[in-house]
Amino acid sequence: MLFFRNYRNKQRQQSSFKMQNNDLTEKVISPLLLENLAEIQKIFSETTDLIVKNFVIKQTKCPAALVYLSGLTDTKTVNNHVLRPLLFEANKEEQDFEVQVSLGLVKENSTWQEIENAILQGNSVLFIDQRHIAFIFDTQGWPQRGIEDTNIESSLRGEHLGFTETGSNNIAMIRRHIPNRELKMKEMTVGARGNLKLTILYLADVANPDVLKELVDRINKLEVDGILNAASLTEYIEDNPYSPFPQLFLTERPDFAAGEILQGRIVTVVDRSPNVLIGPATFEIFFKSMDDYGARWIVASFIRLMRYFGFFIAIFLPATYIAVIAFHFEIVPLKLLLSIGASRERVPFPPFIEAIIMEITLEMLREAGIRLPAKIGQTVGIVGGIVIGQAAVQAGIVSNIMVIVVALTAIASFIIPNYDMGAAIRLLRFPMMIAAAIFGFVGLAVGLMTLIAHVIALESLGTPYGSPFAPLRFPDWKDLFIRFPEWSIVKRPESTRAIQRKRANSNRPKGDEH
Amino acid sequence: MKYTQNPITFMQYIFLIHGVQVGVGLLTLPRELAEKAGTDGWIALIIGWLFSTLASLIIIQVMKNYPNGTIIDLITHYFGKWCGKIAAVIFILYYAFIGSTIFVREGLFIQFWILPQTNMVILLLLLSIPSYLIVRNNITIVGRYAELVFFMTIWMFFFYFNPLKEAHWLHLLPIIKEGWFPILKAVKTTIFSFLGFEIAFFLYPFLQQKHKASIGIVIANTLTLIVFLIVTIVAFTFYSPDEITQYKEPTINLLKIVEFKFLERLEIVYLSFYIFVISTTVLPIFFVTVFSVSQLFGKQDHSKYVGWLLLLNLVYVFFLPQSFDRNTHFQKMGEPISFLLGYAFPLCLWVYLLLYSHLKRRAIK
Repeated sequence: MLFFRNYRNKQRQQSSFKMQNNDLTEKVISPLLLENLAEIQKIFSETTDLIVKNFVIKQTKCPAALVYLSGLTDTKTVNNHVLRPLLFEANKEEQDFEVQVSLGLVKENSTWQEIENAILQGNSVLFIDQRHIAFIFDTQGWPQRGIEDTNIESSLRGEHLGFTETGSNNIAMIRRHIPNRELKMKEMTVGARGNLKLTILYLADVANPDVLKELVDRINKLEVDGILNAASLTEYIEDNPYSPFPQLFLTERPDFAAGEILQGRIVTVVDRSPNVLIGPATFEIFFKSMDDYGARWIVASFIRLMRYFGFFIAIFLPATYIAVIAFHFEIVPLKLLLSIGASRERVPFPPFIEAIIMEITLEMLREAGIRLPAKIGQTVGIVGGIVIGQAAVQAGIVSNIMVIVVALTAIASFIIPNYDMGAAIRLLRFPMMIAAAIFGFVGLAVGLMTLIAHVIALESLGTPYGSPFAPLRFPDWKDLFIRFPEWSIVKRPESTRAIQRKRANSNRPKGDEH
Repeated sequence: MKYTQNPITFMQYIFLIHGVQVGVGLLTLPRELAEKAGTDGWIALIIGWLFSTLASLIIIQVMKNYPNGTIIDLITHYFGKWCGKIAAVIFILYYAFIGSTIFVREGLFIQFWILPQTNMVILLLLLSIPSYLIVRNNITIVGRYAELVFFMTIWMFFFYFNPLKEAHWLHLLPIIKEGWFPILKAVKTTIFSFLGFEIAFFLYPFLQQKHKASIGIVIANTLTLIVFLIVTIVAFTFYSPDEITQYKEPTINLLKIVEFKFLERLEIVYLSFYIFVISTTVLPIFFVTVFSVSQLFGKQDHSKYVGWLLLLNLVYVFFLPQSFDRNTHFQKMGEPISFLLGYAFPLCLWVYLLLYSHLKRRAIK
């Protein structure tokens, strides 16, 4: 019954949200200026930021009207390049063409829907009396911030430009890295009200067409009123919505996005969002950062290894501690056991409760620090640090060893370069702790097995997420735990399913050649 | 046609077969060999390997007659629909029985060594979670799992070189000290240790490079032989010939002497990880069981039977308390069936198919 009601509700909602657009789709503008302006007033009733400027074009002496939304257009462009030429300049040689503006992009259209969209997106529209078409001028200019250094994915050697909220700028930043004619784009719109513009960027002769089709199909299937950022778009199009792991890579770095396009992946630029989506993503891509390619390969490999080590520490260290203290204390050598015992002497709780107290405290501290302004955030850090580090131990609520374990865990989870993956790892720690508290090491092993089972079966845009671990693809291991020197990686990873595998020629002299 | 959608690679094929072969049996293998053939037991392993390799090759030869189907499809093709159904039922019962026995045995080992106070049903329920997650997927995922686990657990093997420091190689000498008879008696044990290769009946249609099927199965058997041989020889040289029979699981006891500055009683950590090794035995067997069920009913999707199979196991363990004795009894009961299905059945089928094609060719002439 409930299902039925929901279904009917859904139907009603859908039909109501189609209606609004339908009444305009076929309607064409009239040749009479006054009628058109009346229609404009009807469409944009109660729209105080709408500006209608009536004037006479000097060239042809025709009455005309320029319509635009005040906040969304660049006033200087409208004044200098549209109004000034139309009002004051007359060119005697070109009598037949009456619209003389100094703008690059001028479109002509006659359907009301297009005109409405154009106005809503910050274009200005010129209606001329006795004409069946309206002219749409590209005068967009909305409030936007300048290009700044990246926020959460900062790097030492990578470029210091981050994506901004303007899609066209973001595309330009990627194109700066790949000025190649094979860099193709597909433009799509999502959201009945939001009208969000998505641009899919890919290398036509490298990216796999099946993957591209899969992505395009999924976006096409979307029916929603509006999507506000790239992260919520991923929730609509990812493969397994119940997985803790991110299945599409969100980045704010143009160099990273361009690098992945070169590997054969597909980038979706989401207008109004400072992040772009990269897909198909694999598990290992979340452990890469731009700095890996800016440092010497030995150093980069060391850091990579530490990240994977950190991954296991962050998930399993508190759980292992619980398992050892609660079940298998016999595996700890006697001396170490004595020092653990001494530190736990005054603690009244079982290790699981102790660990949960500390982990929850830490997570709350971290969350408190993010939302607060920087100055207060520091205070929270200091207060939290002192409370956890000193007072809790002295009060006998937690043991010293537990503080060390929790601190290590926190540090380990912070060295994961990707925020989404770091968050997933922080969350996974809790089920592992519960499993360890009930079943000891067996719980840990089964927990790890469940994790592996999940990752192995996971897919991103129809390509295996666990690659190159499972399916095992040893050629791709050149850029996994150890980052081999760049010149030795001559092939694109198999996990992107690129149709052109070769990316470089290794021209370094080998052996006695030099 | 339908099998090519979820192909397995050559490596996955090898490690699936190898994974099924190496499991719970390895834990008790050195003792069982020592009981029958003394320290000459390792020779029986090599003979057992010969037999299993031969049988494996025959299986591949049989499957070549109908490369795009499992053994059930093959039987349906040559003997008709009802024979196919009967074969499916036999395979389902056989694999369900074997799978359940090993699954329970896995639980028994964990209970005995690590968690003596935990209820068996709860333990198996815990183990069912990852099993369900993997088996409900197609064979590609199971193959990926077997492959990954092989490389993930390879380090465990190297601990067995540690006891060699105190090995007494004299225990092995003289070779064949009591004649061939005890060795042949031990072969009876070893040919069952190598069982698991018969899963190739079901893997063959999924394999991408079919021409490598024979070499792959030989590699899998040989890998298994290497693992068995090294563990057995280490156990034989480390323990004295009489001492070894006193331990129930000498394979685990061996690790008691391995110690680190930061870790003692390695065998607890080891056995926890050994769950992975056992899972590569149990999961493909579970998969084959439910896959055959879906074939029996002519369904494409096997995933909905996985939950039922696991539930059935739990119910069975809940109502019938398990012990090592009962489990071993079941294992012994299963051995004749295993022998029939793993060794005798492929041979008969092969001979039949040879005659069949021979007669058919003559008839055409």
